[in-house]
Amino acid sequence: MAVKSIGTYDFPSRSRQELYGDDQLVHLWFQENPWFCAAACFRAPKAMTWGDFWTALVVPYAEEDPDFDPASPRVWTLHGEQFSPRDDQTLEELGIGHKDVIGMRVVA
Amino acid sequence: MTIAPKAPRKLTMKQRYEALTRDLDWDPSYVAREDVFPHTEFEGIRIHDWSKWEDPFRLTVDAYTKYQAEKDKRLYAVLDGFAQSQGHLSLTEASYLNAMKLFLQGVTPLEYQAHRNFAYLARHLNGPGPRFAALCQSIDEMRHTQTEIHTLSNYNKYYGGFHNYLEQHDRVWYLSVPKSFFDDALSAGPFEFLIAIGFSFEYLLTNLLFVPFMSGASFNGDLPTMTFGFSAQSDESRHMTLGLEAIKFLLEQDEANVPIVQAWIDKWFWRGYRVTGLVAQMLDYMLPRKVMSWKEAFELYFEEQMMKGLFEDLAFYGITPPRHVEDAIGEKEILSHQVYWVLYQFSHAAAFTTSVPDEEHQQWLAETYPDTFERYYKPLWDKERKNIEAGGRHFVRGLPQLCQVCQIPMAFTEPGDPTTICQRESVHKGETFQTCSNGCQWIFEREPEKYVQAWLPVHQIYQGNCGGPTLPDVLQWYGLEDGDGGEYKGSLDDRNWTQWHDAADHSHIGSEA
Repeated sequence: MAVKSIGTYDFPSRSRQELYGDDQLVHLWFQENPWFCAAACFRAPKAMTWGDFWTALVVPYAEEDPDFDPASPRVWTLHGEQFSPRDDQTLEELGIGHKDVIGMRVVA
Repeated sequence: MTIAPKAPRKLTMKQRYEALTRDLDWDPSYVAREDVFPHTEFEGIRIHDWSKWEDPFRLTVDAYTKYQAEKDKRLYAVLDGFAQSQGHLSLTEASYLNAMKLFLQGVTPLEYQAHRNFAYLARHLNGPGPRFAALCQSIDEMRHTQTEIHTLSNYNKYYGGFHNYLEQHDRVWYLSVPKSFFDDALSAGPFEFLIAIGFSFEYLLTNLLFVPFMSGASFNGDLPTMTFGFSAQSDESRHMTLGLEAIKFLLEQDEANVPIVQAWIDKWFWRGYRVTGLVAQMLDYMLPRKVMSWKEAFELYFEEQMMKGLFEDLAFYGITPPRHVEDAIGEKEILSHQVYWVLYQFSHAAAFTTSVPDEEHQQWLAETYPDTFERYYKPLWDKERKNIEAGGRHFVRGLPQLCQVCQIPMAFTEPGDPTTICQRESVHKGETFQTCSNGCQWIFEREPEKYVQAWLPVHQIYQGNCGGPTLPDVLQWYGLEDGDGGEYKGSLDDRNWTQWHDAADHSHIGSEA
């Protein structure tokens, strides 16, 4: 259903990818870990490698959890399916798009 | 023979009211009616007879101003007395004022926006009855804005968090929740606004929104706020009646209005309910002396009074309880804990303070929420205690994912599963948008063109529109100063409070730098 309005109603998204240049927003969801009240939102270059994304953005954020262990085995999900990122792959190569949510679960 | 002049005929109250209101209406002769009232058709609402609008109060301007002036006199006498007697020192604790900071930053600016939009309705509705009712409410809302500012300004002399509420309302992340809610209503048509604010906000949810703040004030020694609450209460009951009158009028005018109104109730119940999340955490976590729990307030003011009272009446018109109401009921034992956990972790970027609930407080939470607190939330506070003992009070080191509709960090969980965060995703014109719940997703997908414009604080920070890339840049842009936010224990408010209560000589109070 469209907005009922008195005139033409057509406005651009206020968070469209082009507003971020070569970067995009990426969400990281700490599944089964209530310490993080919500998923994190990062701004990251599309060409950033997974290794850099992990080291430069995720780890400093996640270290706020005293139980965080970067070496723990993890299951990753994207678009509802598991995937196994390699450190040298870029976010773009991994198929991670603007505002996507990456699920991260520590395997017990 | 002298003939005594005829005594002027005395008008009945009803005639007098009509003379003062409806007789001011006329039919335009040289312009088309739709050119005079261009905003009342595009929403699809059909009105056949505007004169069927009954104003149950029959208020006139002279009576209105007389009542309001008397109430103002009483309120300002209390404000003066409280200020002169250093009444702020008799609050339960300085931390109580966090509830009032939230009120001044989050609610008072909404009163002003309501003033604006009711003034717009007073111009644009076709019928003189509803125009006059809207005019009165517009003046009420302006008066509420002023009295709230005056009531709380006394605390600004002594405590943090009160000094920049207007700018903060437009800028700070958690205040985008109430602000975007009201902007959504302001940018709707006049009838949707009437249902959104007049009905859903002022009727359906008003007791959940206002009564907890005013009862909290009463239990925590805040006489000025309590007096303001009483002063506003008689207006609020008039607003409630207006909201109910508005919905019944629309439903009675044409059957085709029913599905339109139902969709607005569905939307605005959930929009308003999400805003009450801030009230929920206030009741359960911010008040040093508790009034009632969120769960009790929700059961009494919503489930009893609205689900059982109001919606049974509205069934006559073919109106059903709001869509997603079951999700709201299902959250009543988890909502406040989830919202406070968010505010606790992000209060370094807020104009209020938070703290770990102490033993006694946690005991109360455990007794009040026997099925959820100890199982899901106490472990988090236990872990945080260890953190604090190790020297590190917890604040999040980055930015959270926000819901595209309610703009609250995506902390809410799946219906029936308090351990899994609810992630809903929609695609509009190739772009991905996330929402926090079935309710917010339904609202987004109904009018995606509207919500793609959301000014989401996190995204705006990342786009460089909030003062700069670093946390200090953003906090400066928010107008936050030392002592406004962060941890309560050891804060400026806490230190001053202790000093003022321990000191033998109180003459210096308020003169601290």
